[in-house]
Amino acid sequence: MAKKNRNVGIVGIGQTEYSSHKEHQNQAEMVNEAVRYALEDANITLDDIDCVLHGNMELFEMVFQPDMWHSLGSGAYGKDQFRITTGGTTGASLVCAADNLVASGMYDVVMAIGMEKLQEGHTTGGITNMADPLWFRHLQTGALTATTATMMMDEFGEERAKKAAMKYRILMDKHACLNPRAHRRFGLEYEQADDLMNTSPQLVGELRLIHMCSQSDGACVMIFASEKKAKKMCKTPVWIRDHITVHREETFNNFGIEMPEMTHHYAARKLFERNGIKDPVEYFDVFEMYDPSAWWGLDWAREFLLLKDDEHIKLLEDGEFDLDGKLPINPSGGVTASNPIGATAMLRPAEAAMQLRGDAGPQQIKKKVKHALASGFGGTLWSVLMMLEKDLDWQEVENG
Amino acid sequence: MAEYFGTAVEDIFNTMEERFLSEGTLDVDVTIGYNISGEGGGNWKVTIKEGTLKVEDADGEVTDCTAVLNANAETFVGVTLGKLDAGEAFSSGNIKVDGDLTVLVAILPKAFKPFKPVIKASAIVESVEERFLPEKAEGVDIKIGYDLSGDGGGQWTVVVKDQTCTLKEVLDDDCTVIMRMEAQVFVDLNQGKLDGGTAFSSGQVKVDGDIGVAGQSASLFEKYVAEGAAEEEGEELISLKCVPSINQRYATGPTMGKWFDGLKEKKFFASKCPQCGRTLVPPREICAQCRVRCNEFVEVGPDATVTLIDVVYYASPDPLTGKIRETPYTALFMVLDGVSRDESFAHDLNPKDIDRIKPGMKVRPVWAEKRMGTYRDLLYFEIAD
Amino acid sequence: MGIEMKRVAVCAVAQHKCDSNIWHKRFQGMLLDVLEDIQKQTGMHFSEEGGVRSIVSASDDVFDARTISDNGITDVIGAHYREEEKMAQESLNALGYAMSIILSGHEDVVYVAGHCKESQGESRNVCTNLSYDPFYGRAMGLDYTNVAALQARAYMEKSGLTEEQMAKVVVRARQWAEKNPYANATEQVELGDVMYSPMLCDPIRTMHAYPVSDGAVVMLLASEERAHEFTDNPVWLTGFGSCMDSYFLGDRDLASNFALKQAAERAYKMAGVKDARKEIDLVEVMDCYAYQQPMWLEGLGFCGDGEGAKFIDEEGPAKYNVNLSGGMLAGNPIMTSGLYRMAEAVLQLKGDAGERQAADVNRAIAQSTTGGAGQFHTVVVLEK
Repeated sequence: MAKKNRNVGIVGIGQTEYSSHKEHQNQAEMVNEAVRYALEDANITLDDIDCVLHGNMELFEMVFQPDMWHSLGSGAYGKDQFRITTGGTTGASLVCAADNLVASGMYDVVMAIGMEKLQEGHTTGGITNMADPLWFRHLQTGALTATTATMMMDEFGEERAKKAAMKYRILMDKHACLNPRAHRRFGLEYEQADDLMNTSPQLVGELRLIHMCSQSDGACVMIFASEKKAKKMCKTPVWIRDHITVHREETFNNFGIEMPEMTHHYAARKLFERNGIKDPVEYFDVFEMYDPSAWWGLDWAREFLLLKDDEHIKLLEDGEFDLDGKLPINPSGGVTASNPIGATAMLRPAEAAMQLRGDAGPQQIKKKVKHALASGFGGTLWSVLMMLEKDLDWQEVENG
Repeated sequence: MAEYFGTAVEDIFNTMEERFLSEGTLDVDVTIGYNISGEGGGNWKVTIKEGTLKVEDADGEVTDCTAVLNANAETFVGVTLGKLDAGEAFSSGNIKVDGDLTVLVAILPKAFKPFKPVIKASAIVESVEERFLPEKAEGVDIKIGYDLSGDGGGQWTVVVKDQTCTLKEVLDDDCTVIMRMEAQVFVDLNQGKLDGGTAFSSGQVKVDGDIGVAGQSASLFEKYVAEGAAEEEGEELISLKCVPSINQRYATGPTMGKWFDGLKEKKFFASKCPQCGRTLVPPREICAQCRVRCNEFVEVGPDATVTLIDVVYYASPDPLTGKIRETPYTALFMVLDGVSRDESFAHDLNPKDIDRIKPGMKVRPVWAEKRMGTYRDLLYFEIAD
Repeated sequence: MGIEMKRVAVCAVAQHKCDSNIWHKRFQGMLLDVLEDIQKQTGMHFSEEGGVRSIVSASDDVFDARTISDNGITDVIGAHYREEEKMAQESLNALGYAMSIILSGHEDVVYVAGHCKESQGESRNVCTNLSYDPFYGRAMGLDYTNVAALQARAYMEKSGLTEEQMAKVVVRARQWAEKNPYANATEQVELGDVMYSPMLCDPIRTMHAYPVSDGAVVMLLASEERAHEFTDNPVWLTGFGSCMDSYFLGDRDLASNFALKQAAERAYKMAGVKDARKEIDLVEVMDCYAYQQPMWLEGLGFCGDGEGAKFIDEEGPAKYNVNLSGGMLAGNPIMTSGLYRMAEAVLQLKGDAGERQAADVNRAIAQSTTGGAGQFHTVVVLEK
């Protein structure tokens, strides 16, 4: 792998509120709202944008090539435009793509748009449709499975595992309550844990309604610029250091007697190795993780942070994933709070970037945030993992 | 009486009879219990049987019904009026349901017209000061008396003078005009459901004093809008519901074709990678790890060892048929005999084994009587004992 | 825009023969065939060290009738435990994106794979109808064919394009298609066959329209440093540009080539092309309908505005080696046509175009379009 051609800064972020009731806007209007917020945040106009990136999961809304219609609101008129969709990882793929496009020198300022209006379709049905029509579509139940819960209860004991998953869930909700844009803010208290653990309706096995992500409408827009332009345009640009994407074969055939390394673990291994990160828990100041359910969020903390045994549960139990802990997870509330699927994976680097800039609002971490980790998830257990930095001091590339 | 969003809990139950849609419940036979906690709450038992409705007050907690809904008063009213999202109330545990949830989801919308908050005459009169438009009252000096009888009624005087408006809870002797009517007539007039001329000439409204003033007074006030009725006044949104459908003709290709041919013979065929030797089931053209074509097939199973079990309670639509799947059903992950240890196969479990199934057990396939080389040939797996 | 750039090489291409009904293979089968073809040509592999670690696919969920359409083909494009991103867009854009992966330094070698089966769904027009907003465009029954018909009429008004000239385009397309082992419609026709073929959507006749097609194309791109590992004869990607026009037909001047002109301008600037007529030796345009060939050639600058009809009569397409593959008129699937255009340009530059080989091809263009009436265009410049 060659050295990065030039550095890429994040200079603007815009998000709509996330909710299940956006009947007052059509898709193009919703995109436009987020675009305006991002341009305002970056203090630029559409004229400054060289290229637009668009992504969502169009089979939810059943629109063919939606970027055509959305051009009414995306600002792509007269501009270069790419459309990249990779299922749940779309938002993160868009950020990786923006990084590649700006770093390449082909474009100086790129605007990436992730959006979804899940209310206009059927989410679980849409996800089930990813399976082969001739074999497995008749069996898949969207993204719902209790396999992780089952395995965690086997490994740590039923009571400890259930308590940990619920603690994680309530922690996410507490973070969400600080985020003015979050879709679901229940106001849960830790005292409710036992009650919820036993009375929340079961979706699949021990995966209960309370654990599972929301289905949201919303859009997220981020603006990226070359180092030279970013420094000129923006008072606090933050930087994309590196990213990796790991896909997996077509089917969910990984629940055998032996299980392969998870893509989350593989991604973390490769990314940290090539960047010299020996202890991710120590190095990173915040982790915005794509956690579609409380069980997955907790399990994947171990995978992404390359932990062993019950280290992740201990960190949770010791409060280290809280806002004032050693490594806060999802100050935004994560995916269980807001999940506009085409945008969800972009919210992770967006929220992480805001933490680095210091303007994340009520959910801002009080300690200094210099190193951020963000992940995306989708497909047949694919992962996208990226590192963002507050300062450019990890290398000396100074051109473009 | 405690009100939430302008409505009391008992208003919802008191209006059930008039909102009942008998035709929508001819094939229904259910009881629904409501335990509403908090101020203004209570307990009710609702019986819907073959087009008839019975609503009973209950003493204490209701338990023995097809479905029992437990919620606090504010959440119950909020969700009923559409001011709070039902899904979120349910997800967060603010609404709990014992028994058959589908009763509430499938039957209630068919059984009742939506609840519209009851507008009380007293609410209309008591809000005059807030709704007063001073700019319209230049030079106006009048006293309007209201003498309203019946539920929600009362006696009031509205004083408009020097571009201010004051409400008195008595009927003054020196009103410019006094309007006397049933409280409900007053509400209907105010909300445009009854026309003034008709009301007056039919004797439903009696006016003492200056009739002209009575007519003009309406323009001095903003229209009264009940808290729960706000949606009707808002922008009308265009909403389009459509199910697009495009027929598809999928190719199996020779590899998947072999799989389906096998099913016809009650056989499972896996493809084998010539490089790493792992078996892929259902068979695939290529080994994803080695990236080489897999031309060899091996017969595997038919029995398998269970690794993981998913019991699914959530009813989702089957994209192939559009129908909602019947729940609960059990999905199994298993390793078929003769298959590599890291290749799992997924299928459903015979419902009769749902209570006995455990990881590590051996299962065997159950085939359809008539097999045609489609996914329907394999019905499910069951415990092999 | 951007700094002095290094070059990106196209090392090899492999095409699946297009056909109107590839019922006997699924997408995975088609892509495996071309994977083996390109592996034989280049010796490429997917190992973690030195192999392909980055893949760019191109396909569409609606035509595949599958959510996350790249999920189905992960195995055959080598994406297991590798990076893969999907262009949910006309496939030529995958080249621009793959270019950026290499120029950014993120990866040195990129595998590009596009596929589409128009025959799978009962109607490709119902699919393209879904591109329009549900309340107005869709309800009116707009689809890419009838919208193209509107544009055809506007263009015929502007340029004076006649039935006979459009027929000439189709006859010539078939003549070249016959020499292309990957083309779909190779049956030879005469002017009369085309001019009097039944009306499909006035003024577009059935013979003016590209046939329903299935196909797949893959390519291997590499940095300049590593191209030699895969080929002795790389072709260089030197220019890329795309552009979006307005969505509402009423906001557009349908005969203006607004988007194509801008896409071309940006691609030419990147490649250092000042005058297409003097510097380009071969052109592959995505002509879904006969009128589009002269119209897109105007947009690319091979003749003046409104001169497309004259251009046909003056044998302009022969002069500039336009669509020696037979073009889209000979039948490629909608989302993959760009890669077929690109493949022909690459083969011609390499000197591997067999019977179709033109002389002295040093620089070539591939163009693709999508959206109603060419709302979006992409242009790529390649050279030897």
